[in-house]
Amino acid sequence: MRRICTGMAALAAGLVLHCAQVGAETIRFGGILPLTGPGALIGTAEMRGVQFAVDQANARGGVHGNPVEVQFEDNQAKPDQSILSFNKLTDLQHVAVIFTGYSGPTLAMAPLATRKKVLLVNAGAQADGLAKASPYLINTLPTIGGEIEVISRWAVGEGKKKAGVLFENGAAGMAGRDDYLKSFAEAGGTIVAQEASQFGQTDFRPALLKIADAKPDVMLVVITAGLLQMAQEYKQLDLKFTVAGTTFFADPSTIADPSSTGFVHTQLRIDAPPDLAAQFKAKYDTDMEFFAKQYYNAAQIVLATLDKVLADKKPVTGETMHDALFEIRRFQGLIPLEFKTNTASVPMDINEMRDGKDVLLKEIKLQ
Amino acid sequence: MLALQLLVTGLVTGCALGVVAISFSLVYATTKIFHVAHAGIYTLGGYLAWSLMTYRVPLALAFLLPVAACAVLGALMQSQLYARLERRRATHLVVLIASLGTLAVIQNIIAAVYTPNILQFPLNWSSRMVAFGPVRLNWTQLLTVAVSVAAYAGTMWFAHRTILGKRIRAVASNPMLADITRLQPQTVYVYVIAIASALVCLPGILVPLDLGLQPYNGVTPLLTATIAMIAGGVGSITGAFVLSVAIAVLQNLSLLVMPGEWSIGVTFFIFVIFMLFRPTGLFAAAR
Repeated sequence: MRRICTGMAALAAGLVLHCAQVGAETIRFGGILPLTGPGALIGTAEMRGVQFAVDQANARGGVHGNPVEVQFEDNQAKPDQSILSFNKLTDLQHVAVIFTGYSGPTLAMAPLATRKKVLLVNAGAQADGLAKASPYLINTLPTIGGEIEVISRWAVGEGKKKAGVLFENGAAGMAGRDDYLKSFAEAGGTIVAQEASQFGQTDFRPALLKIADAKPDVMLVVITAGLLQMAQEYKQLDLKFTVAGTTFFADPSTIADPSSTGFVHTQLRIDAPPDLAAQFKAKYDTDMEFFAKQYYNAAQIVLATLDKVLADKKPVTGETMHDALFEIRRFQGLIPLEFKTNTASVPMDINEMRDGKDVLLKEIKLQ
Repeated sequence: MLALQLLVTGLVTGCALGVVAISFSLVYATTKIFHVAHAGIYTLGGYLAWSLMTYRVPLALAFLLPVAACAVLGALMQSQLYARLERRRATHLVVLIASLGTLAVIQNIIAAVYTPNILQFPLNWSSRMVAFGPVRLNWTQLLTVAVSVAAYAGTMWFAHRTILGKRIRAVASNPMLADITRLQPQTVYVYVIAIASALVCLPGILVPLDLGLQPYNGVTPLLTATIAMIAGGVGSITGAFVLSVAIAVLQNLSLLVMPGEWSIGVTFFIFVIFMLFRPTGLFAAAR
């Protein structure tokens, strides 16, 4: 009898231990971001945003008691490297959700996400193609077309009717160029020059000179790296036209540099409460800039979705996460978001860089 | 006006590329090693100078110390890597892979230590502009032209007027004969890579002084410089320098007639056609 009791006690203890282990199962997500190379400044901010949100969730005891972990892979903003990382994370780590950024890599991974039913979460890239690239790709910010429409209307409204376009020779840059060609003409302006730059390039002088030769009133820019160098070379060449762009202008070093004074850009609105920003700064010794906020917000959306999946006692897969996200639809993170489609809409502003600061010029509300 | 400014910008870029090309040409013509890690030394020189300038080391020292450090690193690469591989009768492909590996190691160490972000030199004077009529250049660009032309002239003088220079040319011309006549090719190889590393450090500092530092920005100049070296005639210092300038000028002036995204492709297509008619290079005979 004593042996039976001892055996039952051991069995019960084992069961309790097993249940505790099951309850504390680590849920692993992936992140494929540029952590080295010319895109690393933005990629690192994005990684910190996700990690910060996950660390906060884990400090509160995880999601339904499950700690969450994000395994980051460096894609150097390259599509081919992204595919390798995607296969590694999905085939070996079996992650259900992958945070991604940059248009080229995200567009390259989108068909794989559809096939493998893995939820891709993009909070930084804005090429128009992302909107319909995959049912499993969700974009927590609008595509670049909406911003370009706004900045084009603003420029023409200010009497700047002749424009040159400086674009990056990649997925995001070429999509942006095409949007400028369409939106600026629709707003009543004329594109008089267009010049390409390579991703990571820092010598913009030939392109700037050629655009200047066409005597535009405004230069519309869609580059994702090297903005500060472009601003300094623009200043050194003593060019007079206005420089305008989108949210990608929100680079702190460019804003702080005097050469960017007068640059105008659209800015998707996202704010962090002061205490949250202070905690972020204490942890990473850097300000919580735009992309860190965007990815913090995206991680909050994923964590809220995970909470629902676990509450519904469903397995954590790309499919259940995708379905739960659209069941929730409305999220209140750093900004209120609603997913009517795969791409969220958010309000935006038009800002002007002035003496080291980004100053509000005009508030815009998206329909 | 546009043509003139593009021409001058091309000349500046070409002069810097020219120094990369003559330094690579020195190594390749003498050792026959496709020294890809040269791009890593180019990058490292800039980062060392940046560190010294950040710590407010006097400017002259901040330029000279990285040059010396790069020379030492180059000598170590030859004596500890390439010479060992040669003793073990490694093929050219194995040596190339070792060089590629060394480049990757240097780039990744730089990225780990300095971050992969674009860094700018903490100098105010470097971006100040000087206007020559309609042409505007900054002080760094002017310094780049002056130092590059001086480096070319110095290399020519060294190669033709000094005993070591003549010894290098002798080894480059016939290593076996040089070995028999006790010119010690292995020692010469160490000198050559040290000198070439010191040389490539000059544009390695000056170009990022103007355009910013990135850990991976040495490969494109090396690729262009290699093409210039081949088109100019392998072993010809003048050929490598002149063709570098020509390529850069052509790339810039091509913008007058075509969009920028085509300029690199079209420029190199012209050189492919050129090589079909003169495969030994433009200055092959004038070593």
